[in-house]
Amino acid sequence: MTLAHYLTLSGLLFLIGIFGALTRRNIIGILMSIELVFNAANINLAAFNHFRHPGGVAGQAVALFFITIAAAEVVVGLALVLAIYRNTDTVYVEEFSLLKG
Amino acid sequence: MTAIHLIFPEIALCALALALMVADLFVAPKHGRLLYHLAWLASIVTLCLIGLSISDAARYQGLGSLWSVDPMSQFFKMLVLLTTVLSLLMGLEYKDLPPARAGIFVSLLMFASTGMMLLVSSVDLLLTFVSLELISISSFILTGFEKRNPKSSEGAIKYFLFGAFSSAVMAFGISLFYGATGTTKLLGLTQAQTGGPLFILGLLLVLLGFAFKASIAPMHFWVPDAYEGAPTPVTAYLSIAPKIATLAAMLRLFAILLPAKVFDLTTLFVLLSALTMTIGNFTAMFQRNVKRLLAYSSIAQAGYILIGLVSGTVVGMEGVLLYSFIYVAMNIGAFSVAQAVASQSSGADPYGLESFDGLSQRSFGLALAMTFFLLSLAGIPPLAGFMGKFYIFQAAVQSGHIGLAALGLVNSVVSVYYYMAIAYHMFFKPAATEEPLSIGPYLYGGLAVAVAGVIIFGIYPEPLIASVQTSAQYNLP
Repeated sequence: MTLAHYLTLSGLLFLIGIFGALTRRNIIGILMSIELVFNAANINLAAFNHFRHPGGVAGQAVALFFITIAAAEVVVGLALVLAIYRNTDTVYVEEFSLLKG
Repeated sequence: MTAIHLIFPEIALCALALALMVADLFVAPKHGRLLYHLAWLASIVTLCLIGLSISDAARYQGLGSLWSVDPMSQFFKMLVLLTTVLSLLMGLEYKDLPPARAGIFVSLLMFASTGMMLLVSSVDLLLTFVSLELISISSFILTGFEKRNPKSSEGAIKYFLFGAFSSAVMAFGISLFYGATGTTKLLGLTQAQTGGPLFILGLLLVLLGFAFKASIAPMHFWVPDAYEGAPTPVTAYLSIAPKIATLAAMLRLFAILLPAKVFDLTTLFVLLSALTMTIGNFTAMFQRNVKRLLAYSSIAQAGYILIGLVSGTVVGMEGVLLYSFIYVAMNIGAFSVAQAVASQSSGADPYGLESFDGLSQRSFGLALAMTFFLLSLAGIPPLAGFMGKFYIFQAAVQSGHIGLAALGLVNSVVSVYYYMAIAYHMFFKPAATEEPLSIGPYLYGGLAVAVAGVIIFGIYPEPLIASVQTSAQYNLP
């Protein structure tokens, strides 16, 4: 296993995540895609830390922060999904059309 | 060197916010207003703590491990806190917020302000990211705070989807940045470190995260929806504080820590700035809802501030600071008037342009104040907005970006059209009702501050310019 393997994996995850976030119509699906992008970043950080900058643990420390923040963000996101589901009975983004212009 | 004492004001604000959140449990809903009063007093206390640091620079300014506390960051921190105070005063007069949750509301507002105060000081991408997320997560909840109002939830969910997406992309950018340089520190990057595709891609993705928060053109789609759905005090807050804090962080990162001679992004910023003003102004012309109109206008204003960043000179930096200060006064004023008008409107859309019909007959003072804010936003002398624009365009011309300055002028002319559309409704349309419009004491106080700022600094800007010139100083790596 070399750095290139890890970077290929994270690059693929990143692209899948971006593609999913842009094409999914279900909010839960979009949330999952966004998580993939976060995880791609974490893989990158760990891999760079191990292969290119083995002196310290800065990369792993940053990855820990990212994991925590991503979790916090999803908690708020799911609460908002619940709120909008109670108001509109749907979780499909194309049906949110009160605000436009 | 940790130098934790440098961020003592942030710690104080955060602790006070936590105290208010706990206090929410012990205060009966009918006394919820008490918490608003405590919150704006707490913000003023923090403002005084920062004022202290200006008088004793040797002790309270310097470099920490992740933060740099210098006159520039102190200036923006004071602006953020001023906005917080004025938004809380607006919140006191806003009727649609659930009274039972006042403590949560004010503490979220203060958490967001803490995030912005850290953001303007940050010299490390890790702190930048964490503080951006502190701002984002708090403002998602604030936007959706009217749980029973579908517009509020919809605005919040759109804001959230864009925000989460851009912060994930920014996280990926930071990971690439780390891969290229071996650190997330932004201090002392040399030309050798800043080459290579990893670094460039990483920095562009980081810029995308900033562009989202500052509502810069390709990432501005959430702005009108989130601003229209959010409770009006939150809209006023979101349209000012995160925007100027992010622009300040961009100023620090792209003009000071990575100046053009180390890593040149000038052409990109010229394009972004031109796109942002043009899209903002030309879309605002077609809006019939005042909150949406002001949302697009705030996108355009971000474009103007970006011109100051493009020039990369000291004058440009002073222009960014000056314009940010004036922007606080004129935007909070415009939103305060909109809130006052909408609170006593019976139309289908309380924020529609029709609600402003004949405002001059119902409350001449309010109509006059709104006209001052709009003229200032359009940049008409002798109001303060003109001074800000003058400074920024001057910086652009001096650094050779004459085309950009000309485009800015054209945009200002276009903006007069839609700003004056509101004035037309206020003065020349017959009112639906003759009933005089009354506004509460706190909104009145906030408006008085805003009007004073817009007029005094337009006619007599010397003290403001002097303070901006002393504030445009920073700690070099």
